[in-house]
Amino acid sequence: MLKERLGKEVLYFDGGMGTLLQEKGLQAGELPEIWNLTHMEEVIEIHRDYFEAGSDIVLTNTFGANALKFQDSEYELEDIVTAAVIHVKEAAYLGVHDDREVYTALDIGPTGKLLKPMGDLDFEDAYQAFAQVMRWGEAAGADLIHIETMSDTYEMKAAVLAAKEQTSLPVFATMIFDEKGRLLTGADVRSAMAMLEGLGVDALGINCGLGPEQMLPIFQEIVSHTSLPVIVKPNAGLPKQKDGAVYYDVTPKEFVRVMEKIVDGGAAVIGGCCGTTPGHIRNMTESFGRRAVKKVDHKEETVVSSYGAAVVLDDCPVVIGERINPTGKKRLKQALKEQDFDYILKEGIRQQELGAQILDVNVGLPDIDETAMMREAVSRLQSITSLPLQIDTVDPEALESAMRIYNGKPMVNSVSGKQESMDQVFPLVKKYGGVVVGLTLDESGIPDTAEGRIRIAGKIIKEAEKYGIRKKDLVIDVLTMTVSSDPGSARVTLDALRGVKEKFGVATVLGVSNISFGLPNRAALNANFYTMALEAGLDAGIINPASEDMMCSYRSFLALTGQDPNFEGYIGQYGGTEASETGKKHPETSGEMPLEAAIEKGMKKEAAWAAEQLLKEQDSLSIINRYLIPALDRVGKGFEKGTVFLPQLLMSADAAKQAFSVLKEAMPAQEEGEKDRPKVILATVKGDIHDIGKNIVKVLLENYSFDVLDLGKDVPPEDILKKAVDEDVKLVGLSALMTTTVASMEETIRLLRREKPDCRVMVGGAVLNQEYADMIGADFYGKDAMQSVYYAQEIFHQI
Amino acid sequence: MDKRTGEAVRYLGYGNHAVDEDTLGLIEASFSELSETAKKRIVYRIFELQTPDDEQVIIGNYLVKSRNLARNLQGCEKVVLLGATLGAGVDLLLRRYALTEVARAAVMQACAAADLEEYLDEWQEGFKKKMAKEGWYLRPRFSPGYGDFSILCQEQILRMLDAAKRIGLTMTDSYMLTPTKSVTALIGLGRENTLCGKGGCEECEKTDCVYRRST
Repeated sequence: MLKERLGKEVLYFDGGMGTLLQEKGLQAGELPEIWNLTHMEEVIEIHRDYFEAGSDIVLTNTFGANALKFQDSEYELEDIVTAAVIHVKEAAYLGVHDDREVYTALDIGPTGKLLKPMGDLDFEDAYQAFAQVMRWGEAAGADLIHIETMSDTYEMKAAVLAAKEQTSLPVFATMIFDEKGRLLTGADVRSAMAMLEGLGVDALGINCGLGPEQMLPIFQEIVSHTSLPVIVKPNAGLPKQKDGAVYYDVTPKEFVRVMEKIVDGGAAVIGGCCGTTPGHIRNMTESFGRRAVKKVDHKEETVVSSYGAAVVLDDCPVVIGERINPTGKKRLKQALKEQDFDYILKEGIRQQELGAQILDVNVGLPDIDETAMMREAVSRLQSITSLPLQIDTVDPEALESAMRIYNGKPMVNSVSGKQESMDQVFPLVKKYGGVVVGLTLDESGIPDTAEGRIRIAGKIIKEAEKYGIRKKDLVIDVLTMTVSSDPGSARVTLDALRGVKEKFGVATVLGVSNISFGLPNRAALNANFYTMALEAGLDAGIINPASEDMMCSYRSFLALTGQDPNFEGYIGQYGGTEASETGKKHPETSGEMPLEAAIEKGMKKEAAWAAEQLLKEQDSLSIINRYLIPALDRVGKGFEKGTVFLPQLLMSADAAKQAFSVLKEAMPAQEEGEKDRPKVILATVKGDIHDIGKNIVKVLLENYSFDVLDLGKDVPPEDILKKAVDEDVKLVGLSALMTTTVASMEETIRLLRREKPDCRVMVGGAVLNQEYADMIGADFYGKDAMQSVYYAQEIFHQI
Repeated sequence: MDKRTGEAVRYLGYGNHAVDEDTLGLIEASFSELSETAKKRIVYRIFELQTPDDEQVIIGNYLVKSRNLARNLQGCEKVVLLGATLGAGVDLLLRRYALTEVARAAVMQACAAADLEEYLDEWQEGFKKKMAKEGWYLRPRFSPGYGDFSILCQEQILRMLDAAKRIGLTMTDSYMLTPTKSVTALIGLGRENTLCGKGGCEECEKTDCVYRRST
């Protein structure tokens, strides 16, 4: 059985397929998988040669066989996949001349599409495309699934989930790294491996992209971060071109020379990728023979990851930003109710800029659909930040839903010592991977002694073991209690922290700010307690990175404990103005500047400051009408006349936005006039992913007090209609960049005309002009952003 | 002002007007941020070219109908297909600034486009020298979407380059490249050093465009 041999004896994959098919006449751009039906003998022959060369595992010719690549093919995909499996079996019959056990691996390559939010392929659609092929492959008799050449962790996750949920076959997963050890989508070795281990693949590793020489250091990095069997399948060198043909020139002999180091380093499954031949494989099987895999140690790093980065929790203390949590935050509650994701995203960006390394995400409110909100928040946050997220919810459905679509290995907040909680959360962590926060409380509450909390930590660790969740994937929270209600409670927390560290060697986390509740000068108490907790062994503090006191404690602690090499972090932050200011901000003047001038010159800080000054004497509404709008008008007129250009117009808009947010804070809720502001829907139409134009229009409309409902990009006509009907919106703005998407703009207009005839439609975008706009039936063509503002004003003036 | 900055200014719609200091500051800052974030990658392949008549060309065995392309490749024997990208990180950066600072987002958008053009120009310069040694001359770059060269050809070009696997360059269902700051292009290779057929802006028939290159 494969699973019994895996990781014990070195197993041999086959080598390249594409290059050999090309030698047999396959043209560039032709789909090689069609050959399973049209050139069976050639395909079988290649497989047979590999078996004869000693391969234990031969891949089916299905690398690109998925519904997303075969949409228009005249051949049935199911036939292609089924034939592919049969060909390998047939080749095994022909090519294996002794009684050794060999395996047919269903080969799964990338879809060739980029997943949302980077591209337009939905995660679940990718999942379905993989699932379909995998079911066919299993039915046809494949022995394992090998997902390979993936350059995107997100697509890899969709494929692994499909393999594990839709089949009972072992899953091998390899990714394509560059010479710097990065995926094309930016992830490093550690984050990719953390995700794959979390998802529970049977073996993982690297293939394609590089030759054995360049792969060696990356292989070594993989081995140093994973406890699973490692697969290595290099190309026969880096690709070269001659007379228009791509070729690889590392000879079998040279190949084996480096592969020997890789086997000695602990590789469990080896083979070749592009440009390798049965000769390369034969040289390996003959040189290495049936060899035992070098024993690998269990790695005990506690790692969370996003698509771009990994954060290690038990190395140097990390900051988890606590701001995306509605508890006690009025503005965030409002944002959640209004589905104002921009606000949530900005909170994320701000915390990252302030130094957070992980973001906690809690969107639980009594009246909202938490599952939908959590999914959306996680997915949108991952489109603008590469920080790993901590999914924070008590709702198991919301938790699973978010863990499923999360790109990477998430942090999960939380499980407790209650049996019910552990029964709910651990299966999810086992399935999707993750580092889970274990709260030291159980059915009888929170123990008021350190020993009691340590005992519950032990219980959680033990229960996790039953699921195969190792200690490294737990972070224990010994709970911060309010010191004012029990003066001994801070001491208990610190003792418990030290205790769990000593007894279990597990990573730890604490929500810090709770300590000071009910006492004055909370910042000082929080910061001092934070320092004490760090000294007691705290690995991750869930704190407000906007609190200067807290960040000062954090940076000081690192500096004082030798964890800030050359004091770079500390000096960077506190060493005066030389650090990182230049290049970040556009030239600024200092000193006082009236609001109108600040807006016209596009000075954000000055505009906010001037607005604050004016608020001392006037109310918000009159400031807006007297200074803000007239300044914007002047800039807008200048833009029209050609004396002000787009960047200047937008700098003014950004400055006005800053002033506006200061003024809005000061407005009593009833005067805010939220309900009276005219609503405008903006969307980039279906199929279109370019949204800069729409975003520009949005900022300008908002400045002119329109309530913009931004539906984003790639928005289906039905979604736009639904929003227009639900919110009774009278004006919709649509943007499209290319001729290929004007059709969906036209379709959207047609739908709105039919179902919501009182709604006007304005359009804009690179591909459009007045003639085109007339042709597709738009009410207005905005040749630039200001034109849409004027049109919106005109429309609502009439109404 | 270097060429790249000049191009960014042009993309921002300044035409012949002088650019202001604030915008120039933003442009410089954007280029420096892009240099940290962009992961520039390129893939190319040389194919045999046939030009049976003046409205179709055959690249390898792929037939393309386009009068403009046929004119661009007139007299060439081979053609280089190429794809290049700044990578997905730039898109993340652009999305981020669209939320927090739209002026910077717009400027960075223009800078990214200029950066990509410069990257291609530099690559092409090296490639030109290399090919010159073998007696080949290069024609100007020509991309799907220019004139009557259909954007729908994007799909086959990406496939012939194996661009998804090699440099992570893919396209959406509506033929838009992802990551967004990417291009595909063709460069004809001929034995004669002809100057016929200009590239890019100069080839375009829309002469009243505000973004048109003034040189």
